[in-house]
Amino acid sequence: MIKFIFKAILRDKNRSLLPIIVISIGVFLTIALSGYIKGVFGDMIDQTARFNTGHVKIMSKAYAENKDQIPNDLALMDARELTTSLKTDFPTFTWVNRIRFGGLLDATDGNGGSKGQGPAAGMAIEIYSEPSQEVERLNIPNAIVTGAVPSKSGEALIGHEFANKLGVKVGDEITYMGTTMNGAMTFESLTISGTVRFGISAMDKGMIIIDIADVRKMLDMQDATGEILGYSKDELYFDEVARKVSNTFNAKYIDNTDEYAPIMLPLSAQNSMGSYLEMVDSFSSLFIIIFIVIMSIVLWNTGLIGGLRRYQEFGIRIALGEEKGHIYKTLIYEAIAIGTIGSVSGTILGVLLTLFMQKHGIDISGMMENATMMMPSVMKSKFTPELLYIGFIPGLFAMVIGNMLSGIGIYKRETATLFKELEI
Amino acid sequence: MSEKIIQTENLVKRFPVGDGEFTALDDINLSFDKGEFAGIVGPSGSGKTTLLNIIGSLDSPSQGTATVMGKRISSLSHKEAAQLRNLHIGFIFQVYNLLPVYTVYENVEFVLLLQNRSAAERKKAVMEALEWVGIENLAHKKPSKLSGGEGQRVAIARAMVKRPELVLADEPTANLDAKNAHAILQTMKKLNEELKTTFLFSTHDEKVMAYMNRLIHLEDGKVAKDELVQAKTV
Repeated sequence: MIKFIFKAILRDKNRSLLPIIVISIGVFLTIALSGYIKGVFGDMIDQTARFNTGHVKIMSKAYAENKDQIPNDLALMDARELTTSLKTDFPTFTWVNRIRFGGLLDATDGNGGSKGQGPAAGMAIEIYSEPSQEVERLNIPNAIVTGAVPSKSGEALIGHEFANKLGVKVGDEITYMGTTMNGAMTFESLTISGTVRFGISAMDKGMIIIDIADVRKMLDMQDATGEILGYSKDELYFDEVARKVSNTFNAKYIDNTDEYAPIMLPLSAQNSMGSYLEMVDSFSSLFIIIFIVIMSIVLWNTGLIGGLRRYQEFGIRIALGEEKGHIYKTLIYEAIAIGTIGSVSGTILGVLLTLFMQKHGIDISGMMENATMMMPSVMKSKFTPELLYIGFIPGLFAMVIGNMLSGIGIYKRETATLFKELEI
Repeated sequence: MSEKIIQTENLVKRFPVGDGEFTALDDINLSFDKGEFAGIVGPSGSGKTTLLNIIGSLDSPSQGTATVMGKRISSLSHKEAAQLRNLHIGFIFQVYNLLPVYTVYENVEFVLLLQNRSAAERKKAVMEALEWVGIENLAHKKPSKLSGGEGQRVAIARAMVKRPELVLADEPTANLDAKNAHAILQTMKKLNEELKTTFLFSTHDEKVMAYMNRLIHLEDGKVAKDELVQAKTV
């Protein structure tokens, strides 16, 4: 009988083709959009964690209150001791020091004059002075356009567009002008070891990256740090874990009223990231719910139209001695077969597009020229294993539910009434 | 002694119409022996199809009884009624009602699939049924490629393939020209004689009546006349 059902599905295009197309499109859209949303939002969260918030971040309480101003005069003191205790207390996390700083970069023309100047957003990270994965975490090797990662004191990386604007290249000298954590003026000559492009417009146009040891000297921040960032060792963010670690850490300092006392914030408690994370989850769920509802309505109608078209067939089958229940069952089998074919093809197409978009993405750098927000300039999808079932299961269910609903009318009628309606 | 295959006693069938009721069959008392070739005749609306539907277990009486192959129709469940049709009753309709997506062979085979017969059994029975009606060469054609006469032959093969005791034919020649109608009737008559299958027709076609051994005249839901007649021989 199953063979018979399949023959009918294959031969009767009206019975199979429209529902298969509808399901395929629905499943395809669900997967492609879910993958894209996950990719874009996930990239933004990941990028924010890597460049800015960490999975958790420790600052002094006063620094945290004014963190947008990068108040290094309120930096954490005794950073080495604090970092060591963090490594002991929370061994599932990796702890790194970072200092953010602002200032002016001046490109000398070689004759004592200046050929270009620009405001710089500086980031001091552990490049060579401390063993860490910071270079990899910020994806610097792949971001380097020219030159190399600094390997010795006095070297710096700057944004590629920034370098072009200043008219400097690898090996050229630049001068940093800024203030120390104590408010004194500081000047430091640096050699450009490389230029980088992160794809984040705000960084590429004004970023300078220097080893933290050099910056500590430059800004007079010996054994101080603006921020200590913690990353789970598998580099994946789990909000529950981050909150637990933060609560444990903060409990130690709850009674400390010193404005320099440390406070730890999980990613979700920084920069409104909490609502952002909730939004990502809600969007995915919303897509699936909308899909199931729309598909069920469409397929219910398709099923009803198909059912009406097949009234005569059902009548013949009743007369031939087939039970109504069996007819209903075969309708469901057909729905499962059609739903499976539609869902499989939709899933394949959706996954293929997601993989393509994961590699190539959509370049929005043209729209990001003046953006200061930290977000990727190429919006890419992200393939996750859940995409394999996120559209498949609703696709199959929508078809089966649609047919079940449309078939109930036939199943519930009295045989004689139905037979008369069947116009035999 | 002849075997009674159908028996109705004081059979009444009413249908609700608006606030009232319409009596389609009124006090029908009939019995049919195995192997009969009988016709229920009468004008449209006389109750012919309603009677066939009740005998075919597609409907049940409002009052009285209808017993087919020893089964009382009104006491059958949906499943038992379907089983009765599946195993013992073949239907032939005015418009053939073949399943359009299946070939001639598959249309005939479908009935046997419902009986869970083996593939080998099905093949033998289907080919035999197609040979009975002389269309074995059309086995792989789709219904849309058949002429009216060929379509009705397929319908007969489908009704006969399970070797039913009873075949109910509702206006089987209404859509056929005279030549094809005679050919079809001769085929059915031959099957009736060879297989001893009971044929019960609903018709108002004189050509069909000429082949019957017995004619039951229905008028306004009542039996007006029940007569044995000299049938045309094949």
